[in-house]
Amino acid sequence: MIDSAMSRRNIITLSSAVLLSVLFPYLTPYTALASEILVFALFAMAYDLVLGYAGMLSFGHAAFFGIGAYTTGIMLVRVYPCVMPALLAGVIVSSLAALFVGYLSIRRSGIYFTMVTLAFAQMFYFTAFKWTGLTGGDDGLQGVPRPPVGPLDLTSEITLYYFILFFVFLSIMIGLRVVNSPFGKTLQALRENKDRTMSIGYDVDKFRLIVFIISGFFSGLAGGLYALLLNFVPLSSLYWTTSGEVVVMTIVGGMGTLFGPVLGALGIILLRDIISNFTESWNFIMGLIFMGCVLGFRGGIMSIIKDKLKLYV
Amino acid sequence: MSAQFIGMQLFNGLILGSVYVLLSLGLSIIFGMLGIINFAHGAFYMLGAYAAYNITSYIYPNFWIAFIFGPIFMGAFGAACEVFFFRRLYKLPPLYVMLFTFGLMMAFQDIIRMIFGSMGVPFNTPESLMGAVNLGFMYYPKYRLFLIIVTALCSLGVWLFLSKTRLGALIRAGTDNSRMVDALGINISRITTLVFGLGIGLAGLAGVLVAPIQNVTHLMGMDFLIDCFVVVVIGGMGSIAGSIIGGLIVGEIIAMGIMVWPPIANTLIYLFMAAFLLVRPRGLFGREAFHD
Repeated sequence: MIDSAMSRRNIITLSSAVLLSVLFPYLTPYTALASEILVFALFAMAYDLVLGYAGMLSFGHAAFFGIGAYTTGIMLVRVYPCVMPALLAGVIVSSLAALFVGYLSIRRSGIYFTMVTLAFAQMFYFTAFKWTGLTGGDDGLQGVPRPPVGPLDLTSEITLYYFILFFVFLSIMIGLRVVNSPFGKTLQALRENKDRTMSIGYDVDKFRLIVFIISGFFSGLAGGLYALLLNFVPLSSLYWTTSGEVVVMTIVGGMGTLFGPVLGALGIILLRDIISNFTESWNFIMGLIFMGCVLGFRGGIMSIIKDKLKLYV
Repeated sequence: MSAQFIGMQLFNGLILGSVYVLLSLGLSIIFGMLGIINFAHGAFYMLGAYAAYNITSYIYPNFWIAFIFGPIFMGAFGAACEVFFFRRLYKLPPLYVMLFTFGLMMAFQDIIRMIFGSMGVPFNTPESLMGAVNLGFMYYPKYRLFLIIVTALCSLGVWLFLSKTRLGALIRAGTDNSRMVDALGINISRITTLVFGLGIGLAGLAGVLVAPIQNVTHLMGMDFLIDCFVVVVIGGMGSIAGSIIGGLIVGEIIAMGIMVWPPIANTLIYLFMAAFLLVRPRGLFGREAFHD
């Protein structure tokens, strides 16, 4: 009885979410804003796999986002102007980067993990900054084209929105599958009590590395879509401010909920868009949001939804 | 490449290393006491440089006044931050405290940008320390030598304070087991405030010292702080010797990198850190599973 009521509620929530995301570009002031929200929703969801489910506070996720963006951009600009292979190259390279960073940084847990991930992200940032021949350096990678994919003309903003939406849906489906699988449950066990998980025979480091790579994969996808969306790759996509933004989106939305970070991305990007009309001091506001979340909003938007509306998503 | 050029670069590495040492020492003792990394540490360093600028431009145009009162002011400011902000957060998991310091860092940076602009502010080398000294084999700027000496004295002072005084012993005890120290009737929260003030004071001192030789901008802290993370990963968090030796190693690696091929200088330290994580994950002097 309760089960069927819950699943009915789930279906209602899910279908309204689908409907909303299809209509969404008509509700925002301009279409590119809706697309940007989608891109960061995907990025935040990918990040939540690491922070929310495995309990690892990575401060270097800009690396995978930026590497995805740069690889996709470089493929399109310098190698071959075809979208799908470029996106594929982006996720492969960012997954490899996640393998490299993850393999080294899971040797330390807790705050060391945080410091080491941040330091490695800075390494990629400096590499992109100095290697101007490949990346365009400080100016970013200019002139990323949007060649058509089959019958789809991606130069139309609205088509690009639905193109991105397709990938985001696919990723959320895979993400849900991951967190509800035995693998995902093990991750949560590991987050709650590492020693106990280890003592019942799980290879904790292997699980942490795998989720880190999965997260790097989706972050790279988000980055690749971001390059398409902007028609260029800003150097700031690799900078620590981007890592900070995805952390705050995840916390504001509610970590460990997968849908929460999507809402967090929506809230933060909309807020930034509104505030940038009035002031340049976005970083100051961001800092206040960080501090405010820690002081009184640790559960995020999802905890409000769960407590007040009794929705189970 | 002449021997003189190499000597010059070795000394420049020492300068850079000195600043790393001062920042990492503060980072490390705060970590030892509270078990958090203070992301705002770089912002406090930046504020130290701006404090020096404000003292010399608006209060009294003398570097020595800024040199003495800048760090004291920053230490007091840090202690006040501990009392008003951080103390409320200790019951939370360390993750939240770190996020809080990250937010504090972003807010500080932007406040400074709003007040002083994003171009940075000018700062001159004090007249009494202008010119160069003949070291026998080469000439070296006086101010830079002064910076090295101050850092060496400070490191020695911090080491003596922590290892030879009663208060230092209390701090070390608090690092090992703060609840036990509290149970023995020592006011641990006062010691925590002191440690925080000391750490921030050292960051402030580093900021004052680099003001004449580096661009004073609102962004000077964070990138530098990330380098300090490399220092403490290599040296071992919570260890004074680790901060000092790690800081000097990282400074020298960058200086040597600049000599060989400048674009790779910054990347080298991260690769070095990667190698260290493979060979000795806990760092040179780090304790196994300390606050892990």
